[in-house]
Amino acid sequence: MSYTLRGRLETRLIAAVLPFLVAAVLSPLLHKWWPLELVGLMVGIGLVLDIAAYHRLLPYQPGWAALPLGLLELGLTMGAARLLELNAPLAPALSLFAGAWLVQQLLAHAALPLVRLTWVEDGGELGRQGFALAAAAPAVLLLVLGTAWAVEPPTVRLAAGVHEGPLVLDHAQTVIGEPGAVVRGGILITADDVTVRDVTVRGGEYGVEIDGAESVALEDVVVEGAELDGINVRRGQVEIRDCTIRSLPAAFTQGIDISFGFDLAPSLVERCTVTGGLEGIVTHFARVMVRDNRVTGTELRAITMTEMSMGTIEDNDVDGALGVGIFCGDYSHCEIEDNVVADVAPDRASGDRTRQGVAIQAHFGAEAELHGNEISRSPGGIAAFVDATIEHRR
Amino acid sequence: MTGRVAIVGSGLGGLVAYATLRHAGVGGRSLEPAEIAVFGTDSDPAGAWRPRAAAIRQQLMRSESDGHCWPTSFPGLAAREAARRRDLAPLVLSVCDRYRPTVADFLRHVDELRGRTRWDESFHAARIRRVQAVDGGFELDGYGVFAHVLLATGHPGLARPDELAGDSRVVHAYEPHQYAGSVAVVGAGMAAATEWLNALAAGAEVVSVRRREPARRPLNVARPLFSKRGLVGFHAASAPERVQLLRRFGEPSYPPGASWDAPIERAVRESRFRVEPELNGSEQVICATGFRRGFEHDPLLARLAADHGLDTQERWIVLAPDSTVPALTDSSRTLSLAGVAGQWAYPAGDTLVGMKYAARRFRGRVGSCRTR
Repeated sequence: MSYTLRGRLETRLIAAVLPFLVAAVLSPLLHKWWPLELVGLMVGIGLVLDIAAYHRLLPYQPGWAALPLGLLELGLTMGAARLLELNAPLAPALSLFAGAWLVQQLLAHAALPLVRLTWVEDGGELGRQGFALAAAAPAVLLLVLGTAWAVEPPTVRLAAGVHEGPLVLDHAQTVIGEPGAVVRGGILITADDVTVRDVTVRGGEYGVEIDGAESVALEDVVVEGAELDGINVRRGQVEIRDCTIRSLPAAFTQGIDISFGFDLAPSLVERCTVTGGLEGIVTHFARVMVRDNRVTGTELRAITMTEMSMGTIEDNDVDGALGVGIFCGDYSHCEIEDNVVADVAPDRASGDRTRQGVAIQAHFGAEAELHGNEISRSPGGIAAFVDATIEHRR
Repeated sequence: MTGRVAIVGSGLGGLVAYATLRHAGVGGRSLEPAEIAVFGTDSDPAGAWRPRAAAIRQQLMRSESDGHCWPTSFPGLAAREAARRRDLAPLVLSVCDRYRPTVADFLRHVDELRGRTRWDESFHAARIRRVQAVDGGFELDGYGVFAHVLLATGHPGLARPDELAGDSRVVHAYEPHQYAGSVAVVGAGMAAATEWLNALAAGAEVVSVRRREPARRPLNVARPLFSKRGLVGFHAASAPERVQLLRRFGEPSYPPGASWDAPIERAVRESRFRVEPELNGSEQVICATGFRRGFEHDPLLARLAADHGLDTQERWIVLAPDSTVPALTDSSRTLSLAGVAGQWAYPAGDTLVGMKYAARRFRGRVGSCRTR
């Protein structure tokens, strides 16, 4: 097939209509933007390649070339998705890409030559109908984005200064704090699709409490001086990024506690800094990814995944914990990778042999899979207790 | 006879045009057999092609999956063979541009298409010798006036070098023949290459008589020239440039590949194959020199050009990019040339894809004509 430039672009855009529609259905179903963003990225990269490379380099494109070109576009799309932090899960993203690629092949090799007899001879152009059909893809995208914009949760801006709490968020919304915005007395979130960004929370039993809400996002939230937990999640699903939890005053306070949401979509704690408290980040009966956080100065354990939780603890920096650094307990399944654990001190006062400076511990039937962790100055090293197993993966 | 649409020529080009007119397509309407008249001397669309292929013992087509007579490109011969054999191999070969349908499969599909389109209902056994433009159409040699006429008259006879006239040793490659003990094959194109292998396989000593080395390429014409990508530049070229391009495309060539080279290399080692610039004393001379070239060798086209003072360039009648004769085509009537005579619009006009190019544009004009 020898495409003209117009033929390439029309074919690309027509083939994008169905993937856009699929993404438009998937996005609201999943409460995620990544399907639309991924298809947009895929089409955008394809169009750039069409104009900048394919048209000049491929005056004739044999059928087999669709495969290497598809792999090239896949690599670029996934790379760009990672760079732009689309947070698209790998397997569904690959499936969406593969489906879109297949649609494109079926259109180019079967459907379009059937619809228009001269399609091949015209270099992939569809004549006057081509403009309308090719415009359908951007039209669908605009329609979807317009609809999304129309139903987008309202954005509330918190002015600089102290706002008396507790602040109750019981419907979908985005709360963005201006520099210096502080909520005193905590935030309670009970509705799905709530985002809180750039806000400092002081005091309160819980700094931020999420109760029965899904698709909640906390970004650049600072919690200071919470009485029980910095962030407490019950039966909820949350993505917490770039948070800071500090000045936890009492002996029983925890940095982040995500519990009892095993049946919900996985939660995420990423790039947070937790200082002090009884436990830094803890999960009970939940599926959570704990990634790239820094946890220091905890009194019981730095990172805990317990009570039949399941998840990944990776790339975290644990320092100065008392007793235990990373803990996988009570029939949980934990992948513990590439963490740096240092200076876990023995808890001699406890008299508990499981708390004698153990950097990574599996306990009571838990199964931990380890890879690439760096451990230093932690006399208990890596240990399993009470029918727990540790597997070292190469 | 009355009618709106006529096809002059009942060969493969005629069948392609007929099938295209009979195809409804998306949102279109097909023409019924009664609305189309096909004029020719043989009701078998493969009647001229079949004995030529048999004469050179051709087993595989040079064309690929798209080299068929159906009106739509998809499904092509590869997809149909894959479905019939429940085997993906033809499709894999096709996407790698390595699929070659067999002659038997090709002829089978011609027969099938002939029946399915009810070709015989439109066929009229008549040799049209003159096409005369009249008000509202074209008068076909006493057979009536038709608003839209497509001429698919095919190649104007076999080419034989003048210096071999009267030589009893001479046979044309496209005529039935056997092989003598020593054979000279004149020419260097696809038919010549096929004859080298045929004669070698028959145990003959072969002399390839050629004045220049053949090009080695899969198809006669570069692939981009099969579509708008290359055609835009071709159509924009000046008349002398276009003549040069068409001359170049007409130079002898045959496909690359070990299946061609290995038997010849083996025969060279055995001193059974050599190349000579002139004829020698071989027992048999096979003229693999193809067809006579130029509209002036086709009595119908020559008369058409002369009667209407058509614009010509060397051996080609000048055509519009849609393969119509500009001076004789307007909103109420169409005269199209398909096949080798359509090369001015489509360099690969003498291929099945080229025949479809002309046929599809002819169909478009018929469909959009107010008087239809």
